[in-house]
Parts: sequence; structure tokens; C-alpha cells
Amino acid sequence: MTDHIRNFCIIAHVDHGKSTLADRLLQLTGAISEREMTAQVLDTMDLEREKGVTIKASAVRMYYTAKDNQKYEINLIDTPGHVDFGYEVSRALKACEGAVLVVDATQGIEAQTLANLYQALEADLTIIPVINKIDLPSARPDEVAEDVGSLLGVAPEAVLRVSAKEGLNVAQILEAIVTRVPPPKDADDAPLRALVFDSHYDSYKGVIAYVRVFEGSFKHTDVLHLFATGADMKPVEIGIFSPGMKPVERIGSGEVGYIATGFKTVHECRVGDTITRTSAPAAEPLPGYRTPKPMVFAGIYPVDADDHSDLREALEKLQLNDASLTYQPETSQALGFGFRAGFLGLFHMEIIQERIEREYNLDCLFTAPSVEYEVVMLDNTTLTVDSPAELPNEGDILEVREPWMTIEIITPTDYYGPIMDLVTKRRGIFKQQEYPAPHRVQLDYEIPLSEIIVNFFDDLKSRTKGYASLDYQFLEYRPDKLQKLEILVNGDPLDALAAIVHERDAYHKGQRLITKLKELIPRQLFDVAVQASAGGRIISRANVKATRKDVLAKCYGGDITRKKKLLEKQKKGKRRLKMVGNVEIPQDAFMAVLQLGDE
Amino acid sequence: MTPDTSIYLHIPFCAHRCAYCDFNTYAGQGDSIPAYVDALIKEINFGAAARPSAHATIGTIFFGGGTPSLLSAPQLASIMDALRAAFTFSSNLEATIEANPGTTSPEFLHQIRAAGINRISFGVQSANPEELHMLERVHDFFDVIQSVKWARQAGLDNLNLDVIYGLPEQTLQTWQTSLQRILDLHPEHISAYALTLEHGTPFGRWSARGMLPLPDPDLAAEMYEWASETLEANGYKQYEISNWAKEVKGQKSKVRPSTFDLQPWAPAFACKHNLQYWRGLPYLAFGAGAHGYAGGYRYSNVLRIKTYIDRLTANSQQPGTAFPLTPAAVNYHRLSKREEMQEAMLTGLRLVREGVSDAAFRRRFGIGIEDAFPKEVDELLRLGLLAWNHVSTDSRLRLMWHARLVSNQVFVRFVE
Ligand SMILES: Nc1nc2c(ncn2[C@@H]2O[C@H](COP(=O)(O)OP(=O)(O)OP(=O)(O)O)[C@@H](O)[C@H]2O)c(=O)[nH]1
Ligand code: SF4
Ligand SMILES: [Mg+2]
Repeated sequence: MTDHIRNFCIIAHVDHGKSTLADRLLQLTGAISEREMTAQVLDTMDLEREKGVTIKASAVRMYYTAKDNQKYEINLIDTPGHVDFGYEVSRALKACEGAVLVVDATQGIEAQTLANLYQALEADLTIIPVINKIDLPSARPDEVAEDVGSLLGVAPEAVLRVSAKEGLNVAQILEAIVTRVPPPKDADDAPLRALVFDSHYDSYKGVIAYVRVFEGSFKHTDVLHLFATGADMKPVEIGIFSPGMKPVERIGSGEVGYIATGFKTVHECRVGDTITRTSAPAAEPLPGYRTPKPMVFAGIYPVDADDHSDLREALEKLQLNDASLTYQPETSQALGFGFRAGFLGLFHMEIIQERIEREYNLDCLFTAPSVEYEVVMLDNTTLTVDSPAELPNEGDILEVREPWMTIEIITPTDYYGPIMDLVTKRRGIFKQQEYPAPHRVQLDYEIPLSEIIVNFFDDLKSRTKGYASLDYQFLEYRPDKLQKLEILVNGDPLDALAAIVHERDAYHKGQRLITKLKELIPRQLFDVAVQASAGGRIISRANVKATRKDVLAKCYGGDITRKKKLLEKQKKGKRRLKMVGNVEIPQDAFMAVLQLGDE
Repeated sequence: MTPDTSIYLHIPFCAHRCAYCDFNTYAGQGDSIPAYVDALIKEINFGAAARPSAHATIGTIFFGGGTPSLLSAPQLASIMDALRAAFTFSSNLEATIEANPGTTSPEFLHQIRAAGINRISFGVQSANPEELHMLERVHDFFDVIQSVKWARQAGLDNLNLDVIYGLPEQTLQTWQTSLQRILDLHPEHISAYALTLEHGTPFGRWSARGMLPLPDPDLAAEMYEWASETLEANGYKQYEISNWAKEVKGQKSKVRPSTFDLQPWAPAFACKHNLQYWRGLPYLAFGAGAHGYAGGYRYSNVLRIKTYIDRLTANSQQPGTAFPLTPAAVNYHRLSKREEMQEAMLTGLRLVREGVSDAAFRRRFGIGIEDAFPKEVDELLRLGLLAWNHVSTDSRLRLMWHARLVSNQVFVRFVE
């Protein structure tokens, strides 16, 4: 019986209050006691708590007795709002029948409001629009209700108005879920089909698969079968999130829960796979997910070469929780053995970087992010190149193509001019504009991906006082006049610092890069020459003069210990530098391209 | 033959705290001096009572600070008496006191000389009035001239002057003038230190806020190099990264730099107490915040004056701690063999002419330097920062002359 089950997710633009709303729902239904309550309780990762941002979707079950006096089992999935994690949202949507669309009463409709809404509509979900943060003095609930109403084609009065922070009107959302969201299809008797919509790794129980059962049911004693991998498995445990993992004996159709698979690698239990029962298998899997395509690529190298295998292990573990992370071994002349990893965006990359450093305690060096190029050779073969150093000789190339994106920028109408200026400076092409709501304009452009991965979002925010928001999708590959910008250190090309740039930008980018590198590279025991070259010409050079003084001051009354401590500190700093040949290069230098800024 | 032991006594009082100073010293606590001297004598007796029976004689004594010359001559004499009663002095004892110019009267100097103190070190720092003012030193160069004269008259014939280079807004020219004026006073010994900005000092704070122009490291390097040449040309031999001393007493004539020799020795007027540190030989520590090295331990005492006095008054009984620790000790660390070897390199290489003797290293640790640090030594030889100096039966590993100023690059390789 599924009549009393409801599955929904909360979707919104970043920071509109999804996780805070989830807190209130958990409290209201008693899924979590006052004592256990912390702000954004579902954001369990250290990094999520620190940044106040949801990175990973999480599922939780609650029980709610509605006005009709019936008790409902409600499964909630909280999703991330950041554009890089749109893919997480799309997966969550497939596990639900309804979506609560949260819109900040002070910000109104923003880019991911629309992007996530369209995804939810496409997945055929019932939408419950909610305006949040009505407690704020700057809230414009009437205006936003109007906008949201017209967007969804419903009366503004149908839009709920809440304050997640204060708990105001939150019960209305639960009622709306019970009355408006349809129950899942009842198919307990059919052969088991459960969709793995997410997973995380537990060092004791192996890969924990988050599942939504569409048909059939299973018990903790059943032997289960995975369609994609063909593997069979006897679960270590099955259960529900409440919000911690709580073992149960049976999960029935329409329900959301988890299976502790005991698998040690993610390849054995992929997100998007369908689980069935080995003894009575379903004929066909459920439609899975498109694997997300990584957008940006960067090299990851251990600062200490001995950490290479630890780094591999860290990446493996991270992938268990984050299927959108891809990586493969890569060797750099300068940096030695490492990996080339693909990310959904720069924010995703930053998150991975921080997690490697913190959760695995590894000092790693990330090279500047690059997009994936298609290189057509004179002999008409095509290569894909996601590492600038690998761009073949200019003489052998017919053309270089780069990924173009369509972007939608939603902004108050006042910022039209500054945005137009920003986008065209970065080779963007204006396509059209729309007015999704009064006072809001949506500007559609086409722009090379390489132009938006670095600083674009920050620039956009600063030019629009934080009001503009952005969404993007891949469009197509287009050829352009692209060339390799190479950096030479003491005459040797440093592969990890190479970049692919537009011919038009090579000169000033090269110059700015050299200036930056001169600032960043510490003085060493000998002069270090840094040069930028493009199209076979040196376009900029600088000299980091040898250090002349590095001594300690007076030794105070025979305090050798203190001198030693200072030296130990200096040594620690040195360890964070990467030896490239004879030259010590700090990590920042590899990201220098990102710090060039405009002008 | 066991080598002599040294004794360091810390006197943590100053009339005023200088703007760059982060030493363990206190201004405005002069009232505690009598009680402090009593406590210090108690600690000396603790230390002496606890020492192994056949303990070595005392080769050097050093009153450091702070400003030891803030103690009265009778107070200093009573400390010297306590030391003499508790330990056996070597016949050619070197006993140094640090003093601030302008704090030492002729009588005081005579009395401390009579008490057995035979070396004095003045913190001159600069001869330039503006620089002295910026450092918040309370003396002027006239005080220096006066103090040196009186010290000579009192029979203190072993004299050191401290100078600092790399000051904010210091120019090569003001530095040259300062050093020249110091040379004119013919001290036996000169210490030249680079200014370092320490956290928690006014200098540290000002520079963090961008209110103090950072001393330019290239300019500081030029100052050092100029000083090094000038001092050598004036008959001062460099024996340590920041220390120069005369070979012959009273030498005034200039020596041509062509006689530059790099024989591995220390000049006659090298500070023996200093050498004790760099050669890894033992020294006992007395006084608040004093650091010692003996019996395989590095140890240090409580920092605060009041706590120090309390600890020694409370513990009238023999404490449970073993030599070299006294009731004032708060930190102590028994060095592992590896640490002893690392420190032998860190300290020994500071002696730019003497270096680290491979034979001595072998005698002490049972293996040669290159066995203990194969990778490090190989790399440093390759980088041209270290070189072997072969003399008859011994080989000494030494800093290359040009590496003195970048010596941290060498030393970091010998720490973990
Ligand atoms: N004043 C007020 N602030 C709120 C309300 N709801 C959320 N906030 C605040 O808005 C910020 C973002 O809230 P979150 O719940 O983390 O937002 P989110 O949508 O989960 O964010 P992402 O997961 O990063 O997309 C936090 O500082 C909340 O305290 C509300 O009703 N009123
Ligand atoms: S006189 Fe010496 S110890 Fe005292 S404050 Fe000045 S620098 Fe520091
Ligand atoms: Mg959130």
C-alpha cells in the first residue's frame, strides 16, 4: 500500500533556504529532536557546514499526521542549489513525485530557480511553489508571488509564504505535500526494480546505495542483483534515513531507503543502476541517468611524490560519494606522476581540492583548469585535448575547436549594460532576451566555456551588486584561432603552466602571467628566468633574482631550540613548494592564470 | 679530558623595552631585583648540589639579558661568589656581562672587574641618533664612547660591541658610518646581527600594519658583505656567521685583504662562551627563561620573574628532579642521537672557519657526517653551499664563504 507515502524534493537557487526549510520539516514531524537540532542539519559534511552550502543531496524519512488524521510516510530529498551540482538535482527528481520549489522573497526568481524548475517539470513532478524568508524586512512576497504564479501558471494565492528560519507557515507545506503530491504507484507485487539515485561510502558497510523502489519490495535477507554490472550481492544492511541510517527489515514499493552493499568500489554499484532480486529478477532496468559530462579538467599532483598512491586512494574514495568526479593517471614532465581529473565546474573542483586536503590530509597541487578541446589534424584525424600541454605543434593542426555554451543570465533590468560589456569582452554573442517576470530580464548568450570558467561568475556578481544569476548548458564545439601559451622556467617549458588562449589574448595574457609569476615564485639560490611564449615567439620575460639573505637573528642566551623551531617552520613552508628541476615553485603559481583578473 | 662547562645567567630586567625586542625581559620590575638575586643564588646552589661528583670545571660565565648591568656591583659580586663557592673555575675563566651603554659608572666597572668579570659586551646597535631613536634605545653614541673608555680604565680588556643592520630606513651609508665609529673604539670583538621582525613586538605590529618600511633584504645583504670585508681588513676574523674577533690584542693597523686566510680556527678574542654553544658543548642555565644544555638535555626555566622567585623560595628542599634541572626548569627534552647529530650540524656549521670536524663527529656518534646525512650533504656540496676542507688527518665540512648569508638554506636541510 502506497497511499500514505509521499516522496518529494526541495529545489531552489543557491541559498534560498532549502536546507533550513528541511530543518523545520524535520522538527515539525519529530524526525529529529530539539536536542539533536543544529542549523542545516542535513549538511553533514564539514565543508558543507563551514561554507553553508549543500554539496550533496541527502534523503530523510519523516512521519506526519495530516489534518485528515491519517499518518503519512514522507521522504524528503534536500538538493544542492549551486549551478555545478545541477546534476545532483536531476537525480533526486527521478526519485520523487513532487518538488517544493523555494524562492527567496528578497531575491525573487534566479537562474537555478528556472533551471531546476524546468528539470522538475520535465520529470513530470507536481510543483509546490513556496516563497521563503518572508520575515526579512526587504522581503517582497507579493511581487515574488506574482512572478512565481505567472511562471507556473497558477494564482499568486496558491503560492505558500513561509519563513523557514522562524518556522512560520511551514506546516502548510506538509499539508500541501499530502494533498497535492500524488502517492507513488503501488506495485508491491511486481518484480523488484529500485533505482540507485545516489550513494556514499562507509568504511564499515561499504558503498551505501540510496534507492527509490519503483516496483516490488525487498527484505534484508534477499540476494539482490545489479543490472549494469551484473553483480549479485547480499546486503550488509538495509534501512531508511531518519536522518541517521536506521536499519529496517523491508523496503516496499514507492519507498526511499538505503542498501549497505558491502562493495568496496563505486564501479560495482553505480548511481543510475537498477537493483532487482536475483531469485525473481525484473525483465528490464529502469531508465538510468545520463552520466554527467565533466566540464573542466585539471591536473592533480601530490606535492610529495611519495604520496602518489595515497592520492589515488583519496580520489577513489571521493568518487564513491561523488560519481561526477572523473580521473585518470597523467604524467607531467615537471610535476611527475599525478592525475587528470574532470569536474562539473570550478566550484566542484574547489570542493574536491579542499576535501583532498582536509579529509585525506594530502598536500596537492592543482593545475589551472582547462576545458576539453577538439583538435583536427592536417591528416583529418581528431584528437581530444583536455590538457593544454598536449596541444600538438601548430604546424600539424588544421583547426582547434572549443566547447561553446549557451548561458542564461537573469538580472534586474538595470544591469543590462555592464553585463553586455562583460560578455562581449569574453567573446560572447548575444542571442535574445526575455522577461520572465516584471523587472527581470533574462539575457541569452553563446560563449566559449573557457571564457566563463575563470572569474566570470565573480565578475558578473560584482558588476550587478550580486543580483545577476547564471545558468549554462553545453551547446556545441566551434573552431577559433586558439594557440598554446607556454611558460618556460629557466629555459625549459613547464608543461603544467601551459594554457590554450585565443590568439587575440595571447600577448597580454602572457605578459600578465609573467608579472604574476614573478610575484609568486620565491627567490631562490640562483636567478630564475620566467618566459611566456606563443606562436613560436617569446612574448614576455622576467627574472626572479637570487636570494641574497636568509639568516637567523641573534641566538638569545643559547636558545638553540628556538632557532631549530624557526628552521622547522621554514622547512615546512618549503615542503609546500614543488621542485621543478632545480626550481621551487609554490602551488599558487599553478593557479596564476586564475588570478589575472580583468585589465 | 672532559671539556669545561659554561654557565649562562639570565637577568630579565630592562629600563625600557626596545621596540624590536622579544627577549624574555621586563621593564618596570626593578623592585624585584634583590629577591631575584637571592633566588638566582639559590638556583646556583641547587644546580651545583645536583651535579655529578666529578663535574667539569667552569670555563665561561655569561650574564645575559635583559640588562645585567641594572644589577648593582655588590649584587653581581655576590652571584660571582656563589658561583665560585659552588663550582670550580678554570684558570683562564672568561666571565662576560652584557651592558647597556650609559648604565655603567666607573665605580661599577671597577667593582665587577674586581669580582672576576673580565669581559663586557655593550649593546650599541647603531651610531646613528635617528636609528637609535627608532629602536627606542635609551642611550646615544656619546654614552658608548664614555662607557668604552671607562671599561678600559677599569681593566676590562676584552670588549664586545653589538650592532644591528638591515634596519628600516637604514642606508648603506649610515651603516658604514656606524660601523666605522665602532671600529674607531677598537673593541676586541664585534657582533653584527640582522634585524628580524618578531611577532608581538612594536616593530612586528607596525610592519604588519604597513607602518614600518620592511628592511630591503638585498640592501641588508650588501651591508653584511661590506661589513664582512671591512672587518676582515681591519684585523677582525670572522669565526661565526654574525661574530668577528681580533687575533691580536690592541691591533690597530689595517691588514690587507690579500692576507685573507680561511684556516679553520677561532681568533684569540673569539667569545669562548659563544663557541661553547656552537661546538655543542654543555652549559648550565640559571635565571628566569634561561636555556641550558647539559647531560643530554636541552632545558629552560620559567619565564616570569615572580614565578621564578616563587619556585625557588618554595622549594627549599632538594627537588626530585635530576641534574641539570633545578626547581625553576619547566621545559626539558632529552635529545635523541639523531637530534644530537642534527644539532651538531646546525650549530657547528655556523662556525664559518672551523666547520664540523668529521673526526670529532665520528668520535661522538660512531659514524661520519656523510653516513649520517648522505642525501643532504651531497645536495649541499652540489649546490656549492658547503665544502670539505682537508687538513692533515681531519676533514672539516664548512659553509662556503658566499653561503654565510643564505645559511638557513643549508640549515633547513638538517631539521625534520
Ligand atoms: N531571514 C531568513 N533567513 C533564512 C531563511 N531561510 C534560510 N535563511 C538563511 O539563508 C541562508 C541559506 O540557507 P540554506 O538553508 O543553507 O540555503 P540552501 O538553499 O540550502 O543553500 P544551498 O544548499 O547552498 O543551495 C542561511 O544563512 C539561512 O540562515 C528565512 O526564512 N529567513
Ligand atoms: S636592552 Fe636588550 S634585552 Fe632589553 S629591551 Fe632592549 S634589546 Fe631587549
Ligand atoms: Mg542547502
